[in-house]
Amino acid sequence: MSAPFRTEEFLVNMGPHHPSTHGVCRFLLTMDGEVVVKAVPYIGYLHRALERICENRTYHQCLPVLDRFEYCTSMSCEYAFCLATEKLAGIQAPERAEYLRVIMLELNRIASHLIWYGTTSLDLGAVTPFLYGFREREDILDLFEMTCGQRLTYNYIRIGGVSRDIPPEFIPKLKEFIEKFPRKVDDYEKLLTENPIWIVRNKNVGILSKELALGYGVSGPALRASGVKFDLRRDDPYSLYDRFEFDIPTGTVGDCYDRYLVRMEEMRQSLRIVKQALEQLPAGDIKTKLPPNFKPPKGEVYSRIENSRGEMGIYIQSAGDSKKPLRVKMRGGSYNQLQVMPEIVKGGKIADLVAVMASMDIIMPEVDR
Amino acid sequence: MDKAALTKYILDKFAGKVDLLDTGKVEPVFRLESDFLLEFCRAINSDETLHIDFLCNIAGVDTGERFEVVYSVASVKNRIRFDFKIAMAYENAEVESVQSVWPGANWHEREVWELYGINILNHGNLTRFLLPDNWDQGYPMRKNWDAPDFVRMPES
Amino acid sequence: MEIAGIFKYLYEKLASTGLSQAWVDIISYSVAALIVFGFLAVVALFLVWWERKISAHIQQRFGPMRTGWHGWLQTIVDMLKLIQKEDITPATADRPVFYWAPIVAFVAAFMAYVTIPFGAGLIVSDLNIGILYIIAITTFTIISLLMAGWGSNNKYALLGGMRSAAQVVSYEVPMVLAILSVVLFAGSLSMVQIVESQAKIYQWYIFRLPFGPIAFIIYLIAGTAESNRTPFDLPEAEQELVAGFNVEYSGMKFAMFFFAEFVNMFTIAAIGTTLFLGGWQGPWLPSWVWFMLKTLALVFVLMWFRWTFPRLRVDQLMEFSWKFLLPVSFANLIIAGWMKYSKWFNW
Repeated sequence: MSAPFRTEEFLVNMGPHHPSTHGVCRFLLTMDGEVVVKAVPYIGYLHRALERICENRTYHQCLPVLDRFEYCTSMSCEYAFCLATEKLAGIQAPERAEYLRVIMLELNRIASHLIWYGTTSLDLGAVTPFLYGFREREDILDLFEMTCGQRLTYNYIRIGGVSRDIPPEFIPKLKEFIEKFPRKVDDYEKLLTENPIWIVRNKNVGILSKELALGYGVSGPALRASGVKFDLRRDDPYSLYDRFEFDIPTGTVGDCYDRYLVRMEEMRQSLRIVKQALEQLPAGDIKTKLPPNFKPPKGEVYSRIENSRGEMGIYIQSAGDSKKPLRVKMRGGSYNQLQVMPEIVKGGKIADLVAVMASMDIIMPEVDR
Repeated sequence: MDKAALTKYILDKFAGKVDLLDTGKVEPVFRLESDFLLEFCRAINSDETLHIDFLCNIAGVDTGERFEVVYSVASVKNRIRFDFKIAMAYENAEVESVQSVWPGANWHEREVWELYGINILNHGNLTRFLLPDNWDQGYPMRKNWDAPDFVRMPES
Repeated sequence: MEIAGIFKYLYEKLASTGLSQAWVDIISYSVAALIVFGFLAVVALFLVWWERKISAHIQQRFGPMRTGWHGWLQTIVDMLKLIQKEDITPATADRPVFYWAPIVAFVAAFMAYVTIPFGAGLIVSDLNIGILYIIAITTFTIISLLMAGWGSNNKYALLGGMRSAAQVVSYEVPMVLAILSVVLFAGSLSMVQIVESQAKIYQWYIFRLPFGPIAFIIYLIAGTAESNRTPFDLPEAEQELVAGFNVEYSGMKFAMFFFAEFVNMFTIAAIGTTLFLGGWQGPWLPSWVWFMLKTLALVFVLMWFRWTFPRLRVDQLMEFSWKFLLPVSFANLIIAGWMKYSKWFNW
């Protein structure tokens, strides 16, 4: 038995139609049995040329396009664009509008993390948490629907304010949600955090070191799980985030389990922010009046906010003499997270690839734009 | 480090090679020549005061007169953020890859190459990824690309 | 004791008509097979519906509600739909293997019921090697999964087939060892005698401390793995292998795999009931009612697992079997042997 057992590597096309690629991403996997030797991501199946579309629209008309940039956190996308435009034109939104924005952004972050919670557990074979996550997300979507009539693409945050004030029944409903949600997060954790199967599937799987994460521009919860305490809400505060008190959870190892714990804790912290914002919510105006022929002065700005998937940046260049932006570039967290994946799934099992992809919370429209 | 101090520091450190542009509305925007790019990136990455360890974004821009490549960088450690750009003419537009400093530049640069046709030197993996593999209809983000209502995909 | 009352009556009637013994046997066993087949078809249909309802209620949904009372017609309608669907064979498939795989799975799943006692006297054939026969027959399922994986000529299917072969073989060993400890006590391989040896509730093997509960838990874990259900559903892990070995199957062939899976789950529960929970034994109610109650309770536990746990990874699955379950079941077998030998708790 001196001759080694002859094995052969083979190629597997994981995607674009595959249940756990979260949309249409394709991985060309070189497999040695169950072990991934090499993974090459292929993207572009969802490319809708959003940046080009934005160049052909006025600033206001861009907002619905931004909604479709990343549909799990449409509010953040709108807000990122509005913030960039406001910086460009030097507009300040009224205080009440800023508070409403913070409430909506944080609720949207919770909703997005709930989708992540559901899909991650689904990817690792547990079906039930998926529906638990969607149950609470439903409450948040009800709140959004109550406010702006939409459940997914809100078009709520506008340049210089928000589109409309919250209805009177919003606040009691939100208070009810704040009341019950911490218990629900405990329930979610009870189902998975201590579960031995969950732990062996996630611990020490897909370790992303601090250096690799920074070098590849990984941001958000994935970066924090690698032990970098960096949150744009605290370190580059925008809107009113410097007025609220919240903790920034970090991990130590940077494996899938850390990313899981960080996101679970972030939901609680987001709720804390919502609670404080609701207490401080002032009365007043919700919109700054803009001229009908809104033309920001010549200039350029790259503004970034902390999305639920990391740094969401919008680069706008304005020619100064046009109602339309010269260039809009959208930068989503998933783009860099997907880029780093081949580095960290190498040598793992095909099941680890699924776990890593799920824990990175990659969403394809954000990658392809 | 606030905006004024940062601007002064960079202008002093790279005197004569970096200009400050007045277009930056919040963070400073610098302009440098294409042959100084890689040296500049290495310098700001290794400089202790700046310690730019995070590449946020690379955006290609077609202003209608020229190409620009805008790099948005940040320091996670020192909480610094600024942009710098390289402007170039349409003909033979090319720029050095910065992957050796920030490996995450890979896809951003590929995108600039694919959508604008700005050649990236020493990139190593310039293949199509947002457009179809056999795309043959020019560079769709250029201003002179007339955007038809329907694009006929090349037959594969 | 081999054939139930009505069946015995039929058997005698046939015998009295003067047919030769061979014909009497053939006719009577065909009838028995048809009865078992019909019963299992109904059970499988019921289990599909039941699983959907249980999963729905675990997940705070309703599940099927529209077709019939609480959707009880749903699986029947689904079945009709699947029968009418186009039967697609991939162009590159290995046709005979692809064709026979679901049939092997189906037959292997149903054959086990020859020696399962549904009640006092309700057994098709009380073989004196009953449990050995069942273990041998249920292992045929692997062959069908391998055939499906190979025959589909699809990489996902092949990976799924290979995984399932490795998995079922690995878990067969602790399962057999757990069963063996019961056989050791009962002193027989016959299913009927095993049931009869646990007439009183304290005689149920699950209550014979210390080996009983351990053997039962090992059996349940291995049984879950054998029937390819979460947390051991790797052969059909949707998120990794799309659907695993049955990815290329459609229509009726898919339905046969689906049915075989549910019948296998029922088999696991039925054997568990027979070996550990006293089989049909129980006061007041008819014996077959007790059998069904206990079996369905075990099925419920299996479903409960499925809708609560995440899935293991393939190497962890193997590790769990070979490094943990196997030593424990060996130690358990030794304890059982010592208990038997020293007549400890030997009621």
